[in-house]
Amino acid sequence: MFRILPPLFAAFFLVTLAGCYTAPRPVVPYTGDPVVDGNANLAVAPEQDKALWEYRIAAAALRRGQTAEATAKLDDALARTAGALAPGAQAAKSRKLFGREETKPFAGEPYERIMGNYYRGLIYWRDGEPDNARALFRSGQFIDSDTENKTYSGDWVLLDYLDGLATRKLAGDGSDALARARASAQAQSRPVPPDYDAKANVLVFAEYGPGPLKYASGEYGELLKFTVDKSPVAFARLTVDGRTLELPPYDDVSWQATTRGGRVMDHILGNKAVFKQRSETVGDVALVGALGTAAYGTGKDSQNLAIGLAAVGLVSKIMSAATQTQADVRSWNNLPRYLSFGALRLAPGEHAAVLTFHNPAGRVLANRTQNFVISVPAPDVTTADADVLGDIVVIRSDLDN
Amino acid sequence: MKTSTHRKLALLAGAVVTALFAGCASSGVKNPSGVPVTEMKADERGFVAGTGIESQDLVTVTDKMARSILGIPEITQAKTTPRVVLEPIMNETRFPINKDIFLTRIRTQLNQKAAGKVRFLARENMRALEREQQLKQDGLVTASQDPNVVQFKGADYFLTGKLQGMSARTSQGLSDYILYSFQLIDAATSEIVWEDSAEIKKQGLEDAAYR
Repeated sequence: MFRILPPLFAAFFLVTLAGCYTAPRPVVPYTGDPVVDGNANLAVAPEQDKALWEYRIAAAALRRGQTAEATAKLDDALARTAGALAPGAQAAKSRKLFGREETKPFAGEPYERIMGNYYRGLIYWRDGEPDNARALFRSGQFIDSDTENKTYSGDWVLLDYLDGLATRKLAGDGSDALARARASAQAQSRPVPPDYDAKANVLVFAEYGPGPLKYASGEYGELLKFTVDKSPVAFARLTVDGRTLELPPYDDVSWQATTRGGRVMDHILGNKAVFKQRSETVGDVALVGALGTAAYGTGKDSQNLAIGLAAVGLVSKIMSAATQTQADVRSWNNLPRYLSFGALRLAPGEHAAVLTFHNPAGRVLANRTQNFVISVPAPDVTTADADVLGDIVVIRSDLDN
Repeated sequence: MKTSTHRKLALLAGAVVTALFAGCASSGVKNPSGVPVTEMKADERGFVAGTGIESQDLVTVTDKMARSILGIPEITQAKTTPRVVLEPIMNETRFPINKDIFLTRIRTQLNQKAAGKVRFLARENMRALEREQQLKQDGLVTASQDPNVVQFKGADYFLTGKLQGMSARTSQGLSDYILYSFQLIDAATSEIVWEDSAEIKKQGLEDAAYR
């Protein structure tokens, strides 16, 4: 009888060590081009990760001026996200004891979803549809409205500010949104955005500093946490035609990521972790009991008891090992930390612009300076809409393209 | 004794295998061959639905508006066929939309059902129309009428609209209400000669895995 136990333990260790086999991901050749590499990864990514790759590609493409690519990827990612959020089998599976959270289709944490809306909104504005841009800024603020602590609910400064600016440009008022933006800025001790200039025809969107990344904490990796790297850039400044436009950090994406409070999923993972711990303890106790009984017990009853305890111990240990407590740490890993905005009036023509990034001491980080040209087309006097020429949207990033 | 031990061993092995497979449940794939394409009616609520603006809303709203416009005396009793220009609708909701699609559908519905009681002016094609007229005036192409006489019609009415929304979100889910309002504005007097609206409210629940 006692010969049974060693093979059982061996089987247990094999199972534990082997874990669950997953097919290896195809190797994607690295070219250093984030859009090319992103698309190569997207092609081989599992279905649940497609939106994640699309978001990453979109951000890289937008920074390089590949707006069509960014639009296509954002549209698809936002549609996938909307679909993922509805109750579905995959999401339900990720809540189960033996289901991993990362098997659910990626929709991102709220700050990631908001950034998807924000970027798409910038493109709508660039395409002459400020009301659709405003719709996405409103959706972004709506996504942020269910924080655990209501102090941090719907407190993105730029989303409200741009909502109001779009409204003002569409012959509306926009003062409510401006007041909300300023209140959020003051609550976060951030720079207060200026009054609107509805006649400003060049809108500059700047971003700098590395954005938040996720990691799993807790004994069983059940806690979702964020790493927030210190940004070497504290603010930016645009100089064009001898004029200076300050681009301070109106929004901190890391602040937004870390002020949402607990998730419902955290409770689910917490319960899984408790189960994992308890089943592991039960397994340990049962296996030690089985060994003790096997070593010191005599007679048929002892043998049966040892087998029973070993069975309970093994099943408990296997259940514990199979319980998936890891928080989903898939991150939109090329987001910025700070978002800024400035508006100015420029006459038709070519304007040389210099964008400088500054450290907290105000010193220019020379290796990050960007020189570029802002082209303002002349109004087409042959059309009836000559007086409603769209805004020029400039998107500049300190992050690697 | 030996038989009993073997039975226990078999049971134990079964439990181990069951637990092992349960732990590996994530390796299963649902719908490995995908979901077949399903053709649906535009006014049908599909299995892929959200709280935003969808095709069934477009159909419901534009059908109602087209019927409503056809009943007003400015159209039915007009001495000369009224000319209408479509003005872009204003989107004040939190959902980006193709702003032309509502007015396009109202226009096609009216053109189908009004039997010539109303005409729409193709202002979005003005550039091409002007170019064509210029070619005729320059004698580069033939003209059936004197090209120097302005033939382009002026608008009697502007048809426009606005989408406004209210959204709410709690731990129980989210709710979106959208008011679709449309107006027909007299181009000469700025009077609103017709206005109608439709309201749609939707509620949804996000999976706990995303909350």
